[in-house]
Amino acid sequence: MRRMLPNRLRVVGTGICALMFACFLISPGEGAKTVVTDQAGREVVIEGPIERIVTIPIPAASMVLAVDGSSEKLVGMNPLSKTAMEGEILSEFFPEALKIRSDIVQGEGFQPNVETLMSLAPDIVFQWGNFGDNLYTPLLNAGMKVALFKYGTQEYLEGWIETFGAILGKQEKSATILDWHRKTREQLAKRSGAIPDSEKPRTLYFLRFLANYQVAGKNTHNDVSIALAGGKNVAAEEIDGFAAVNEEQILLWDPEVILLNGFERELSPDHVYTNERLKGVSAVRNRRVYKLPLGGYRWDPPNQETPLMWMWMSAVLHPGRDKFDLAGEMERAYGLLYGRAPSRDQYDHILLMEKNRGSAHYDALFGRAK
Amino acid sequence: MTERRAVFPFSLLAGLLVALTGAVALFSLAVGRFPVPVERVAWILFSALIPAEGSWNVQETSVVLLIRLPRVLGSLIAGGGLAMAGAALQGVFRNPLVGPQIIGVSSGAGFGGALAILLFDGLFAVIPLAFVFGLLAMIAVWSLGSGDREESLLSLVLGGVVISAFFTALTSLGQYVADPYNKLPAIVMWLMGSFASSSWDRLVFAVPVICCSGTLLYLVRFRINVLSLGQEEAEALGIDVARNRWFVLVCTTLITAATVALAGIVGWVGLVVPHMARMLVGSDHRKLLPVSALLGATYLTLMDDVARSLTAAEIPIGILTALAGAPLFAFLLKKRRREGGAWM
Repeated sequence: MRRMLPNRLRVVGTGICALMFACFLISPGEGAKTVVTDQAGREVVIEGPIERIVTIPIPAASMVLAVDGSSEKLVGMNPLSKTAMEGEILSEFFPEALKIRSDIVQGEGFQPNVETLMSLAPDIVFQWGNFGDNLYTPLLNAGMKVALFKYGTQEYLEGWIETFGAILGKQEKSATILDWHRKTREQLAKRSGAIPDSEKPRTLYFLRFLANYQVAGKNTHNDVSIALAGGKNVAAEEIDGFAAVNEEQILLWDPEVILLNGFERELSPDHVYTNERLKGVSAVRNRRVYKLPLGGYRWDPPNQETPLMWMWMSAVLHPGRDKFDLAGEMERAYGLLYGRAPSRDQYDHILLMEKNRGSAHYDALFGRAK
Repeated sequence: MTERRAVFPFSLLAGLLVALTGAVALFSLAVGRFPVPVERVAWILFSALIPAEGSWNVQETSVVLLIRLPRVLGSLIAGGGLAMAGAALQGVFRNPLVGPQIIGVSSGAGFGGALAILLFDGLFAVIPLAFVFGLLAMIAVWSLGSGDREESLLSLVLGGVVISAFFTALTSLGQYVADPYNKLPAIVMWLMGSFASSSWDRLVFAVPVICCSGTLLYLVRFRINVLSLGQEEAEALGIDVARNRWFVLVCTTLITAATVALAGIVGWVGLVVPHMARMLVGSDHRKLLPVSALLGATYLTLMDDVARSLTAAEIPIGILTALAGAPLFAFLLKKRRREGGAWM
């Protein structure tokens, strides 16, 4: 009896952990029946093999390609998933991916055209579960199988990867990817925990810079990442989520490092350096403005390459400390994710060597001489 | 036209308003998120005119000279221009409900601006397109409402509703097809209205347009008085009604388009402020136009102070002017009716 209690606790604990981290419980049923519990807690049963997948959340498309190692099963995606591939590494690894239909939604929204979607005859559709039920009830009414995703945390992201592993029959690969995510996270948490607060650079991430200045406050993935990489998010105290601020507020925060989003294609650190009104900011004076890379997906939101983003950010925030060998890590990670290694030119392209070269330490950290 | 009896001489009132506007401008230069002591603000301003040595640093200088000064000037000029345009329109249309927003000019100019953002990079196309579509909207509203010789209040307002709705739908279409990462944020920002991106190079575009059009309106202030008597009376007084109306319309459209280019769509100023001014000086446009301009400048600048200083996040000014403007307008409407005063 005495021994049973801890055991039972362990079982319960493992169960809770599995729920927390995976959010998806997958049980491959008899024959070719697949049962998925999605992040809204709904059970989705798919009879027969899963050959045709449609993803509407933006980062999901590249994750399907990564987990499957091919673009064959993805038959529809968000147009913004495609713009993250065009001219980037993923379209070089999977040129066929550019032919995948992306006209199922338009603009910023996630409301698909039901009939266009039906014409793709998907076995399963992945849709957002936290933007109201309007986004998915029409699909259910049309008789489609819909699994819902939630957004914003590493835990949800890990659930996505695990689900894709199960749906695509690549459980082992998705487990390896998840293991890499968790280990890197632990490693970085340990490192940044050892850095005294006074040595953590004041950091500010801009979700938008050109149209207005949108920054990431607390309760954002970017805030979590900055902390993990050993920085202090200056916007965290006053901003919850994302908000537009003005130049005076930026001067008041006086960030030592500025991180620019990968969404605005034109944006480069030069936009910040040449802004007369921001010339008093420490990050500008010390030329520590960096644009986030774009690999298999934009590195800003949670995605399959997030550990690489953390490593990159920790190097940028702490150029003097011992750091990861990013080129080597990328080679390993890309081998795992896509079955290919980036060439030296592709590596330069992903890390935006051209745009970021004028910023302090960048060439020394990631340049070819290294 | 009822002439309100002035409580004290107009010159005194005008002097007081000029002083108030100046004081508000200086006060606005001293408030903001970044703390700069008042005396240092004064020194920085002073040293910009006559180079002087001081203990202020580069941040404080750029806060005062590059961030606050263009922003305060922008809101002063836009507020003054919009209020003056509103006053002139209300006179010419003989209608108290008219403002650049009600008669569709704002929606038209807003669409023109959104189209310019959608089609071109940079701001050079915003003013011309905002102007062209603002003018188109105004012509459309006018032609809808000009069935009878005396443009009736109802057909004008309805025409404005129709045209506004049409251009708003076109703008939504623009938002729908815009690239969500590279174009849409600029359009959304634009439609909510903000002086956050005021800079000297934007002012260089907008200020001459607003100042010239405003001056032209002031020069024809007497004709606006005559036009506000009604078409027949104006013709009897020997005024070419159509031509003068057009002149005023083009000026007000230019002002609206330029403010839209400077700060996006800022509603309610052109509608509410002329009413406040009318309560002070009556409806003689020789007094009403300058008083509206001064009050509008003060009003919008104070609103923008709130927008940029209240919270760490910037509040879109279009939201503030609407929140303040709608109840204020309702109050003025009620008060006016209770007093049995005529509108014009």
